[in-house]
Amino acid sequence: MTYTISPLPHVKSNESVKRVMWGTVAALLPITIAAIYLFGLPALTIILVTVITAVVTEIVIYKAASQPITISDGNAVLIGLLLALIMPPEVPIWVPIIGAAFAIAVPKYIFGGTGTFVFHPALVGFAFLLAAWPTLMGSGSTPNLGSFSNLLIETGAGRLVEASPVLVLLGGAFVLYKKYVDRRVALSATILLLLLMPIVGMGSQLPYVLTGGYFLGLIFLAADPITSPVTKKGRLVYGTVLVLLILIQLHFDAYFTGMCFAVLLMNVFSPFIDRTTIPKPIGGK
Amino acid sequence: MKIVTIKTPDQVIIPLQQHDGAVCDSLVSVGDIVSVGQLIGDGEFRIHSSVSGEVTAVSELPHPTGKDVLSVVIKTHNGEKSEIEPVELSAGKIRRIIRESGIVEPNGHPTLRTKEDIDTIIVNGTNTWDLSSHEALMLDHPSEIVYGLKALMETVGAKKAFIIIELGSEALHVMRTETIPDSNIKVIATPGYYPPGTENTLAKKFAKKKVPRGSIPEDRGVLVSSIAAMKAIYDALCDGEPMIKKVVTVAGAVGSPRNVLVDIGVPISHVIKECGGCSGTPVKIIVNGAISGAAQYSDEVPVIKTTTGILVQTESGIEREAPAPCINCAWCVDECPIGLMPHLLYGYADSAQFDKCAELYIGDCVECGMCAYVCPSKLPIVQIIRYGKHGVAEMEASE
Repeated sequence: MTYTISPLPHVKSNESVKRVMWGTVAALLPITIAAIYLFGLPALTIILVTVITAVVTEIVIYKAASQPITISDGNAVLIGLLLALIMPPEVPIWVPIIGAAFAIAVPKYIFGGTGTFVFHPALVGFAFLLAAWPTLMGSGSTPNLGSFSNLLIETGAGRLVEASPVLVLLGGAFVLYKKYVDRRVALSATILLLLLMPIVGMGSQLPYVLTGGYFLGLIFLAADPITSPVTKKGRLVYGTVLVLLILIQLHFDAYFTGMCFAVLLMNVFSPFIDRTTIPKPIGGK
Repeated sequence: MKIVTIKTPDQVIIPLQQHDGAVCDSLVSVGDIVSVGQLIGDGEFRIHSSVSGEVTAVSELPHPTGKDVLSVVIKTHNGEKSEIEPVELSAGKIRRIIRESGIVEPNGHPTLRTKEDIDTIIVNGTNTWDLSSHEALMLDHPSEIVYGLKALMETVGAKKAFIIIELGSEALHVMRTETIPDSNIKVIATPGYYPPGTENTLAKKFAKKKVPRGSIPEDRGVLVSSIAAMKAIYDALCDGEPMIKKVVTVAGAVGSPRNVLVDIGVPISHVIKECGGCSGTPVKIIVNGAISGAAQYSDEVPVIKTTTGILVQTESGIEREAPAPCINCAWCVDECPIGLMPHLLYGYADSAQFDKCAELYIGDCVECGMCAYVCPSKLPIVQIIRYGKHGVAEMEASE
């Protein structure tokens, strides 16, 4: 009788990269449906086109580079969906196509693909579009601030994701429960932001934070596992500094884009935060 | 579920190394007749015969750690055993009896290894899904365990003790009821599992004593023990029985998975047979748990003092998924009981940057396997960390 020998562990948890990515995509489905409900055909077109462009771009690039196609891990679909959700519904359809292709080609592929990219590709795609066609990327309307009844269906939504703050939170609660996004980043940032808003005298800005855009930014974009720090302390530092940056941007009234650039800026510091917060093992020194 | 006693087989193999330390000297030779509880191995540690019979061989035989170790093979007399007579007990003797009974913790250390003053005793009673021997012992023998704990507390002068049990375990209620009269024994529920090797973590978490790296908890007045050792102390004090039996969880693809009481030295093939045999073709046999255990070359290795479980896997239970790139999810960092950075150690060891591994305290890893268990990318983290440790040792030797 011969037996198989292998190093430990001899069982592994059910979670996999695929489940993390597709689970996050699933968590975004409620808000996706709400956006289609609120904005109709334009939203559906933007979402489909962006996701398909992201997937096709990835297949083409990895084929051209003779590398194994990694579509099945769900990362390209997730990037496409996140990018689609932060588009305004009036945007011409070629804009998200360029954005999705750019997001996959430059910030994802050039930086090494799933797992190694430094900047969140969806946000880089967004920043690129904003710099290239600022007039097309501005949202046509801003959420009806001050009215909390709009938390369920936000009729003043200017971007797809703002259709329903509650549904973004619902998906967010799922990914936080499953640890598909980083709890420490998402929770420290959200709680600190809500606490600091009234204290620093920007109470009037508070409703800005209670929009789908902010919840998506803090839970799905800032706390994305690949671009956020890894050390326990580092993740709290990351969330805290992120909130300070967001508050500065809010002070100058940069509503949604402010948060996006705050997250991108924090992505830059993520490796540095990691390197300076390496913990001592139990027992110290 | 009650603990079932396994019938003694015709032959037992008792290795003369059942702890972290040197192999004991054999006190018997081929042809000697031994009886239950007789001392057969001595040195820095004591090993007793678990059966009565005739010594048929003293030679190097397979051991659960994967090495060949000098072992005493005893042919039992008709599979029968004579009873041990309890020894006369006096208070001053307790420490000596505990030492002489050869009680070993699941991590391989003797229960009493220093003469330091002890302030707090922590009893680790946590289980994983495939290792429930601690829970079974607590359900079946709560009063014996508390007796053993009190005796140990008295001996070392400890003022308080904590029994650590994982949340949701049935044993929690049983042990809480059992310790109501003792205000200095506290039962604590914890969400996690503490594998052997995490004694310093337990001392810090529950006794609030920071044990410096490279030291043992006893240096800070904390003694970390286990439920199995408490029962062994009871057996030694009340029945005069040295550590010659072990409660082992048999799990996986066997006829009737359960907790069994096994004589030390019984081959695991016999234990599996007594538990209904393998269901399906066994492909992997693992001693001491699916997460932290060791896969075995042979099913003829014996149960030893540190054995806590036997797991049988068939082809369908074996993990063969190809690894994906690390996605920095930090689950390994959250899980590591020592507070290391497993994904960084993996990355540096994999690219042979051993100096970086040493900087990140690779030597502190206790190889519990929790990081590789939770890894969504299915990276063989422990395997690569072992390679890294080897590389660091070679690097340091060449300096």
